[in-house]
Amino acid sequence: MSDLVTLTIDGTELSVPKGTRVADAAKSVGIDIPVFCHHPKLEPVGACRMCLVEIGMPMRDRATGEPMLNEDGSPKINFGRGLQTSCTAVVGEGMVVHTDTEAVTDVRGTLLEFQLVNHPLDCPICDKGGECPLQNLVMDHGKMESRVYFEDKRRSDKHVSLGDLIFLDRERCIQCARCIRFQDEVADDRVLQFHNRGVNLEIVTMSDPGFDSYWSGNTTDICPVGALTTADFRFGARPWEMTPSASICSQCAVGCNMTVNTRREARSGGKPVIKRILPRQNEAVNELWLCDKGRFTHDYVASPERLTSPMMRKDGELVAVSWDEALNAAAEGLQAASSVAGLAGQRLSNEDYFMLQKLFRKGLKSGNLDVNNRQIGGGDVVAQVGIAAGSDLQQLGKGDAILVVASDLHEEAPLWWLRVKQAADRGAALVVINGRSTRLSSHATHNLQADSGDIVATVRQLVSMAKVETDGTGALDAAAETLITANNLVAFYGYEGLSYEETESLAKALANLLLIQMDGEPHVGRMNNGLIPVWPYANTQGAWDMGIHPALLPSYKAAKMTGMDAVAMFAGAADGSLDALYVVGADPIGDGWMADRGKLGLLIVQELFMTKTAVTADIIFPAQSWAERDGTFTNGERRVQRYYPAIRPAGDSRPDWQILSQLGERVGAGKAETVTSLVFRSLTKAARQYKGMDYRSLGQVEAQWPVVGGDDRYYGGNAFANTAGLGKQWAAVAESKAVKQFEMDDAVSSREDGLLLINAASLYTAGTLIDKSAVLAPRMAKITLTINPVDATAYEDGDTLMVRTDRVTVQATAVVSDDVMVGTAVLRGVKAMNGTAVARLSKIKE
Amino acid sequence: MIAEKYAKEIEGIIARYPSKKSAVLPLMHLAQREYGYTSESAMKEVASILDLDPTQVLSLAGFYTMFYEEPVGKYVLEICNDLACALRGADEFVDMACKKLDITPEETTDDGLFTIKTVMCLGACDRAPMLQCNMSFEENLNEEKFDALLGRLRAEATAGTPSFSVAEKMASYAVKDGA
Repeated sequence: MSDLVTLTIDGTELSVPKGTRVADAAKSVGIDIPVFCHHPKLEPVGACRMCLVEIGMPMRDRATGEPMLNEDGSPKINFGRGLQTSCTAVVGEGMVVHTDTEAVTDVRGTLLEFQLVNHPLDCPICDKGGECPLQNLVMDHGKMESRVYFEDKRRSDKHVSLGDLIFLDRERCIQCARCIRFQDEVADDRVLQFHNRGVNLEIVTMSDPGFDSYWSGNTTDICPVGALTTADFRFGARPWEMTPSASICSQCAVGCNMTVNTRREARSGGKPVIKRILPRQNEAVNELWLCDKGRFTHDYVASPERLTSPMMRKDGELVAVSWDEALNAAAEGLQAASSVAGLAGQRLSNEDYFMLQKLFRKGLKSGNLDVNNRQIGGGDVVAQVGIAAGSDLQQLGKGDAILVVASDLHEEAPLWWLRVKQAADRGAALVVINGRSTRLSSHATHNLQADSGDIVATVRQLVSMAKVETDGTGALDAAAETLITANNLVAFYGYEGLSYEETESLAKALANLLLIQMDGEPHVGRMNNGLIPVWPYANTQGAWDMGIHPALLPSYKAAKMTGMDAVAMFAGAADGSLDALYVVGADPIGDGWMADRGKLGLLIVQELFMTKTAVTADIIFPAQSWAERDGTFTNGERRVQRYYPAIRPAGDSRPDWQILSQLGERVGAGKAETVTSLVFRSLTKAARQYKGMDYRSLGQVEAQWPVVGGDDRYYGGNAFANTAGLGKQWAAVAESKAVKQFEMDDAVSSREDGLLLINAASLYTAGTLIDKSAVLAPRMAKITLTINPVDATAYEDGDTLMVRTDRVTVQATAVVSDDVMVGTAVLRGVKAMNGTAVARLSKIKE
Repeated sequence: MIAEKYAKEIEGIIARYPSKKSAVLPLMHLAQREYGYTSESAMKEVASILDLDPTQVLSLAGFYTMFYEEPVGKYVLEICNDLACALRGADEFVDMACKKLDITPEETTDDGLFTIKTVMCLGACDRAPMLQCNMSFEENLNEEKFDALLGRLRAEATAGTPSFSVAEKMASYAVKDGA
């Protein structure tokens, strides 16, 4: 039997996969059937009746089973007596569908009249007005005069805060339950439900805090009316006044595609400002969704605290100077310094990283380059066995397996959590190995809670079990069997509870697992197989690719001489062996890596804000934010994605690559670059993995399913169609040639005695950028330290503790719970360091 | 906290179902029995016992009229005034009852004894006007019978003898093991 079914909709014959719903089949050939409750990413419910159509099936002779024919030889079609909901009806062979008959048109008008019985016609002040499915459908199919008395309209609350981020207008709600079903089926945060019945039906939440979900913003996109709106955009602008700019989220390694909506405003002096951020469809990355962090963290861009002019220290004070003066002074200072080093944050663009390494390696003849907050290694391993180009986690399901080690995806990379969970829902086996249980654990087929210190050992044991057929019956054996026999295998690795060196071992161990041949084929080098690093920032991958590493050049070529790494730089600054430090988009003092500028002769900082590091600098260059410029980020799946400028630069700020390039020109690194696309062209010559890519190819799109955008907002919600580029994944080595098993060293990590600190990530952890978000402020993670009752003899729940590691000292609220292992302490809500750190505690007297 | 106070009973209820969350309605009854109504904290307790979000419990409390989200009197007089009952004089009966107790629907008498609620169909249309009081039907009512009912309930309240136990009533509905 063929898996395709052929049917005819409004005279168009089409073939679609078995099981497709009629409404989706129609959409696939451009026939729009109006819907409210149906959404292509949700299970059908058939609640709103808006999609009623005439559906007929070929008749068969009851006696012979033969198809019955009309006189002209065409099959006889039985349309039954009533209309059917096309969102629930499944296609059948020979089915005939009419979506434009009088009966259908008539019922649409009637249903819309019902929808409007209690709907307030406040479109002129409604955020959704202009992009509202109900408004559009009433214009198309509605009756222009109502038979209902205006006075009889139900009145209800119009400004219900469902939490800090989302407002509900109960009068506008048409009870389609899209938001409830999204929270249940997609987000698995069942915090929205219906309350009461009939005409009193209303949406409620009772979670603490209200609408407690990292996904709440998405419900406003798929709400087919203006019932749900974000605190961020509410009454902010009309949809038609705004300009869309394609962008990429700079908040984590997933690289969600987004659209920034801007509007020129009087209060900003006629300059465009960001009004809201919406998802932009990329089915291989973020589908139609965004997490709330990505959606609401943009306030920093417009912060009055932004640096707007170059500054230099004169007579002990930082004063504004011209670009030329600052650049010249920096060039002189760097050339005169006895030693120089460059330290970069991990959310700069590829172009910025490329120019930074060029400035240092070519201009200043120095390989002292590293990233700040270096927590996770293995980029070189990823380059060999990373997930293959063309992969899409959405394709994983029954028969496939996913392994997640030492990461809490829900907090670190929410979209990956969502897609891994959904793969598990579709039947993929999920193995989770971590030192504590996470949001993913409950979806796992095998949840292996390893003692944190032993995560690497546990994984190595798992790999050796996978290599030989054992008849062991332990949990680890079963997990190994599941993984190695899977059709497709994807392994995620993070850094929770691990030192940098341990993450390197972990990456190699997982690579060795993926490289085991099963029926002659390893789990690398082919689609939907390979390794995915859970990088802590948006472009950690790009930093690796561009050679922001003391030992690696672009293309992962080994440098002739190994330079200073970040740890050596901090030590050098403290003891005077490093003379000049150049910091780009990082705050090593604020993050606790450096106590102060130490004995540095010259400190140059390139930043958005006056950070703790910048305050002590000699020269400060104001950089442009991601929304003010173009560039590319490379996500954890090695997909190079292009973002575009949305607003004008703050003050005199310049893009990072331009500053670095202008400085480079002054120290002999070659002529300054003028255009981002040309910087990208130069970098593809150095980073050979990027060969063949350019801004045009990164901007290419192809048709995606479901079809969204355009006039049919009622189908897919407000997510933007992707017209600006799906990006390109670069191929890992294993895709073109065999990769050998990695040598594992037997180094055992030495630890100090004391409580081992596990720094558990929280999505809303304080930082330079997220701190500026007004709407997220109430949701910021509280700083807590969870300790086992055995270790907590001197402390009680709720005590305020001073937690000291070798790097940071923070105040945390004690949580005593046996969720954590004896000997470990889980610190949340603060960026500290993992693994080798030991927490020293003292109680603060009330 | 019902989790501690009725640990054994709760364990028994949960054991009746293949999935823990299915025990939500019996536990809500238990909580209502304990606190007199399903308060916000009661719903949160039930949710935490069954690993549900409190919103899911709230949704059920809103769907079923037998759960009270506000404090109620000792006796809740739930009078059906759906179409069929209305045709047999339910609206007039509600007016009479309210006047007699000097309250409006949803209100409780000052002595804390009676609450009147109007509810949807209880499945006794042929015996209207009717009401349900603490899980028991009173049918074919008129003013005289209503007076008698009030008298009986007041006497019980004064004497301190319970009119009947909701717990027993609930237990009689429960599926017995092996049944």
